[in-house]
Amino acid sequence: MGHKWWHWVLGVVVILAVFVPSTAWMRQRTTHYRTQYKTALNPTIMVPGSSASQNRFDALIKELRKETKVRHSVLKVQVETNGHVTYTGSIRQGDNHPFIVIAFDNNQDGVTNINKQAKWLNIAFKDLVKTYHFNHFSAMGHSNGGLILSLFLEKYFGETQHVSIDRLMTIATPYNMESDSTTQQTTMLKELIAGRQKLPKKLTVYSVAGTENYSSDGTVPANSVNQGKYVFQNQVAHYTQITVTGDETSHSDLPQNKQIVLLIRQYLLQENLPADQRQQNQQAKRRALNGEATQP
Amino acid sequence: MEQWRPLGRLWRFNQRVSRWRAARAIKEALRIAYPFVLVMTAIDVIGQSFLASNGFFFQIYHVGDWLPGLELWQQLIQVASTVINGVVAVIIAFTTGRYLAKTYRGDGQAIGVMSALAFLTLNVNYDALEQVNRTTGEGMSKFMEPNLGPQGIFLGIVVGLCVGWFATHLMQWLTRWQLKHPRYQLSWTGRVAWPLTVVLIVTIGIGYGLSWLTAGGLNGLVYQGLSELVANPGHRGFVILGVTVLNNLLWWLGLIGPVSLAGNSAVTSLQNLAYAVQHGSGWGAPNPVTLHTLGDAYANFGGAGMTLALLIAIWIGSRQVSYRRIANQTFLPNLVNLNEPTLLGLPLLYNPILLIPFIEAPAVNVVVAWSAITLKLVPPIVYPVPSTTPGPLIAYVGTGGDWRALALSLVCLGISVLVYLPFVRLLNDQGGANHGA
Repeated sequence: MGHKWWHWVLGVVVILAVFVPSTAWMRQRTTHYRTQYKTALNPTIMVPGSSASQNRFDALIKELRKETKVRHSVLKVQVETNGHVTYTGSIRQGDNHPFIVIAFDNNQDGVTNINKQAKWLNIAFKDLVKTYHFNHFSAMGHSNGGLILSLFLEKYFGETQHVSIDRLMTIATPYNMESDSTTQQTTMLKELIAGRQKLPKKLTVYSVAGTENYSSDGTVPANSVNQGKYVFQNQVAHYTQITVTGDETSHSDLPQNKQIVLLIRQYLLQENLPADQRQQNQQAKRRALNGEATQP
Repeated sequence: MEQWRPLGRLWRFNQRVSRWRAARAIKEALRIAYPFVLVMTAIDVIGQSFLASNGFFFQIYHVGDWLPGLELWQQLIQVASTVINGVVAVIIAFTTGRYLAKTYRGDGQAIGVMSALAFLTLNVNYDALEQVNRTTGEGMSKFMEPNLGPQGIFLGIVVGLCVGWFATHLMQWLTRWQLKHPRYQLSWTGRVAWPLTVVLIVTIGIGYGLSWLTAGGLNGLVYQGLSELVANPGHRGFVILGVTVLNNLLWWLGLIGPVSLAGNSAVTSLQNLAYAVQHGSGWGAPNPVTLHTLGDAYANFGGAGMTLALLIAIWIGSRQVSYRRIANQTFLPNLVNLNEPTLLGLPLLYNPILLIPFIEAPAVNVVVAWSAITLKLVPPIVYPVPSTTPGPLIAYVGTGGDWRALALSLVCLGISVLVYLPFVRLLNDQGGANHGA
């Protein structure tokens, strides 16, 4: 009789030794899933610069579709000045990497307009998250589109819980507006620097500059693009600056520039590029870091 | 002993079946294989649940953090597991052929080896042969290795029976022929070599013919068909119930594992997970009724057939010493859902009495779980569960710690024990020396 109760005690101890740690482990796992979970849908949000419509990236998208085997679908979003959102195109069923182009009725240049556009971007973004239930995305902004995205990330992105941004690529974005100065900071840059603490800490940023000569892509001064470091450096996880020179490097040609299309594919869309194309990008990056100019 | 009439009839049926030569051969073959499978499973218990990075105990005890030389341990376990686990079906083919030959007073050892070789010829990787011709013969395995492990047990038994019967008769016919024609003297070697040649010609012919049909050998053909039949039963409860019944029937036949606890990665499970992550729980998940949320969560304790409940029923109601011994020996493997030693040891395979609760218990549980989920008494499981999670904890862990799910699991376990109990008691009357561990 004596050893019978001993068996029961042992049984209870064994059950507790399995049950208690498994409960602790399970809580840890569910929190992990909640924080780490990423939806399969992972769109790339594109914002054109001033005076550009929602069709601004058609040439780029055509170029990207030519190269890649995946046919990314395109959803175009237009935000009116009253905050009303209209959609053109659609995200194809089963396409997990669609492009979403967000443009604005009022697409004028200028600090106040860009601030308004960041606010409109937020309206469209919230609508998209609510409709498509993605919880992470990447973004690409050309020219002032990069400013709109940066302002949006600083001021409004925190309003949307449980959504994270993986990568941001800005192309010829004038962080210091038209100023060529390396010391004078414009209102825009001051505003961006003031809010930089609120940038997502895990974000990876690529800032691509194009130069026709040693100082400008014909519209945006190279120095203004370079000022981006005061916004992103030491704030986000990685900040990389890349300079592209050669053919088709004038400001408006940049989005469909062959070199930049490659950079978008490798860094923003994280495609597996063939070795030779990857090497090309490495060279561009190394030259950029060394401050050399690429041979045309 | 006073018996309920249908059970009495079942008992008489069982007695008749167990006198069949084939049934005796299978039982004996499984009995011989049992200790090997037990050791193999003990190794797998350690390997899969304590040392594999997706094992249940590995995760809850954070083994990776404190065990030095983890990779070395993993590799050593893998070596041991490959050796025994990898060839268990060959062992079964050998023992079945050998025992059947012995019942005909034939040459057991020789015919056992013949059966094993015949089984191997049916599992040669014909793709690899072409590879050898073209290149240096590197790369692919010459055998379809998965088929030599537990999932080949059914084919091993079939081949053992066929070869055992055929080769014994051929050898005996040769002996008789020799007596009639004393001029042609045939040595023992000759009497083994000729049947072996015939058997190999037949099985190689079959194997080669099959290689045109399917890449996975005879086994592959069976599994391919069955997996397609049962892999995706959708949302309808009745279909899921049917698939569960069919799946357990196949296990009983030794066709181990067309459906296993793999539902974690099914599309429906991922949709459920996405929903739970966004809403905080599984209530209202898009796919509440799937094979995963019913079968894996509530009808698979110990593996197919709720064998964990069988062990408890044996502890409660069995007076057979061998049964109680096997229950003790295989409890730990059953706890992490590796029940092959229980199936082979009792043996449960081809046991007409235990077939009924083996199918009934999971079916009842699927219905209970289906009702409970449909009536919204419990949420469906949504979080991925390691396949080595102890059965009664699967629903609890999978729902993210829902007490109602744990309670339902215990209810399911209790029901299954009650289902098994009368049949286990019935087997108390089975006597004799033909089983034991």
